[in-house]
Amino acid sequence: MKKALIVFRKEWREILQNKLILYTILVPPILLAIIPLVMMYFMRNEPVDPEDLAMYSQFVAALPWLSPEEVVMYVLLNQFVLMFLMMPVVIPVTIASFSIIGEKEQRSLEPLLATPIRVTELLAGKTLAAVVPALLTTWVAFGIFLVGARFLATPALLRALLSPMWWLAFFVMAPLFCILSVAIGVVISSRVNDTRVAQQIGGLIVLPVMALAMLQTFGKVLYTTQTFALACLVLAVLDVLVIRMGSSLFQRETILTRWK
Amino acid sequence: MMIETHDLTRRFNGNLAVDRLTIDVREGEVFGFLGPNGAGKTTTVRMLACLIRPTSGTARINGYELGRDNQQIRRICGILTETPGLYDKLSAQANLLYFAQLYDVENPEAQVRKYLQMLGLWDKRDEPVGTFSKGMRQKVAIARALIHEPRLLFLDEPTAALDPESAKTVRDFIEELKGEKRTIFLCTHNLDEAERLCDRIGVIRQRIIAVDTPDGLRRSLFGRQTEVQLAEVTPAIVDAVSGLEFVAHVKQDGNRLRISLADPDAQNPVLVEQLVRAGAKVQYVSEVKHSLEDVYLTLVREEAR
Ligand SMILES: Nc1ncnc2c1ncn2[C@@H]1O[C@H](COP(=O)(O)OP(=O)(O)O)[C@@H](O)[C@H]1O
Ligand SMILES: [Mg+2]
Repeated sequence: MKKALIVFRKEWREILQNKLILYTILVPPILLAIIPLVMMYFMRNEPVDPEDLAMYSQFVAALPWLSPEEVVMYVLLNQFVLMFLMMPVVIPVTIASFSIIGEKEQRSLEPLLATPIRVTELLAGKTLAAVVPALLTTWVAFGIFLVGARFLATPALLRALLSPMWWLAFFVMAPLFCILSVAIGVVISSRVNDTRVAQQIGGLIVLPVMALAMLQTFGKVLYTTQTFALACLVLAVLDVLVIRMGSSLFQRETILTRWK
Repeated sequence: MMIETHDLTRRFNGNLAVDRLTIDVREGEVFGFLGPNGAGKTTTVRMLACLIRPTSGTARINGYELGRDNQQIRRICGILTETPGLYDKLSAQANLLYFAQLYDVENPEAQVRKYLQMLGLWDKRDEPVGTFSKGMRQKVAIARALIHEPRLLFLDEPTAALDPESAKTVRDFIEELKGEKRTIFLCTHNLDEAERLCDRIGVIRQRIIAVDTPDGLRRSLFGRQTEVQLAEVTPAIVDAVSGLEFVAHVKQDGNRLRISLADPDAQNPVLVEQLVRAGAKVQYVSEVKHSLEDVYLTLVREEAR
């Protein structure tokens, strides 16, 4: 797998030359980490809107160790932390399609595939280059958020925010999202020749994630560790499916004769 | 043998791109692969460089069997593809270093330096290749194909997209490579290039039409011809020449005769003697050299019929 690292390094050299991609990687985590902290800061001393309380009445019952104010805050913060999961969904597909479509535009795939690299090593290198920045930014954003929350949240709320659900989300679910996202990037890149189009199609995969987040915002479901564990299982199955599809497309012969 | 193929065939969705190709390329030779657009040159190179699989047929590269020993084959082959295929945003050095590492070159930095210096690009090593001229980009691509010192080098139309001056630079460089005991498989539809660089030429149009040295191709197509220029050509002189048993064919063109014969070195003296005896005043005797273009066009046209 030494070759995968060689590929990884070269990918990074190219990414550092491209401002647009760098912004895609760096801007969302900064925004996502700061907005909930600002919100917490201003909501700290505000009385809770009775309408909100009514909407989340079932959650108040489910979280007896939190005060009603803390419940409302908890649900709102959960929305944002769920949004953090957009990073492992969006960043890898963006980087992967940038990288693969870039190779197609420059026609560098043929000389590259003439080298003795194994296609799995090549794919692994490109996957690493897409996944590492996505996970790092996600984790850093979550870290900044937790550090801020330590000062702004009540002790009970902080404890609730540190629930295993989030560890599961960031250390299991996020990597699974990354793999899904890269594999979708590979599949899209084999069909599309325009980086922007690929990004738009790739962007569509955040919609299901957002929809699930919305369900909670409107008081329909409260996500728990169990729901997240189930989601991880579903994701793992999806990952296996798309990896199969991606690697069957990522063969010398297929790349050179079947890709558009 | 560096390359031996037997009935190598490739179809794309049922369409024949390469049909039962059987050729041998010797170690150290420059083999020209000559054919019109769409003749199957690139497809052949892609098969031999283990990029795409043949539909049927077999090939050995330096004794390694295509399909079974692909990794070994890739290690000893270098390829210059039809388009340079460089990473435009990366420097010349970064481009070459990447491939040196992918080919497990022992001392990649030194090897990259060697080729950048050899091609006069060392001063520009840190500039992105996207800013380079076409000729310079082609040089970087050739350096990349050579970075692991391959024993077999495929060059797919190395000068087709270049202006005459860059084409000349690239051609001169290929000529230098000839000295290095490396086998070169050169696809081209440029006849001067083939003539100047190649030891042998294979003419292809889906199938192989002919394989020989440039001179051999001429000879097998047109035989050998001697042209004599006389002060005056009379019917008696033509009869005398036609009567010689080794003369296959005589053609008159003004005061010149074009005579086809098998072995000019031995037969020209007899011919001249006979001419003089028939009363001819011989002004010039010379060998007719058909251009490779004549040979090529004749071959390809015959094949199309
Ligand atoms: N990937 C492909 N899919 C379908 N047909 C192809 C493909 N590559 C080449 N061909 C066809 O195979 C034939 C030979 O092409 P090629 O080897 O590129 O010729 P050359 O390099 O001599 O110009 C052409 O008719 C071309 O259209
Ligand atoms: Mg070609």
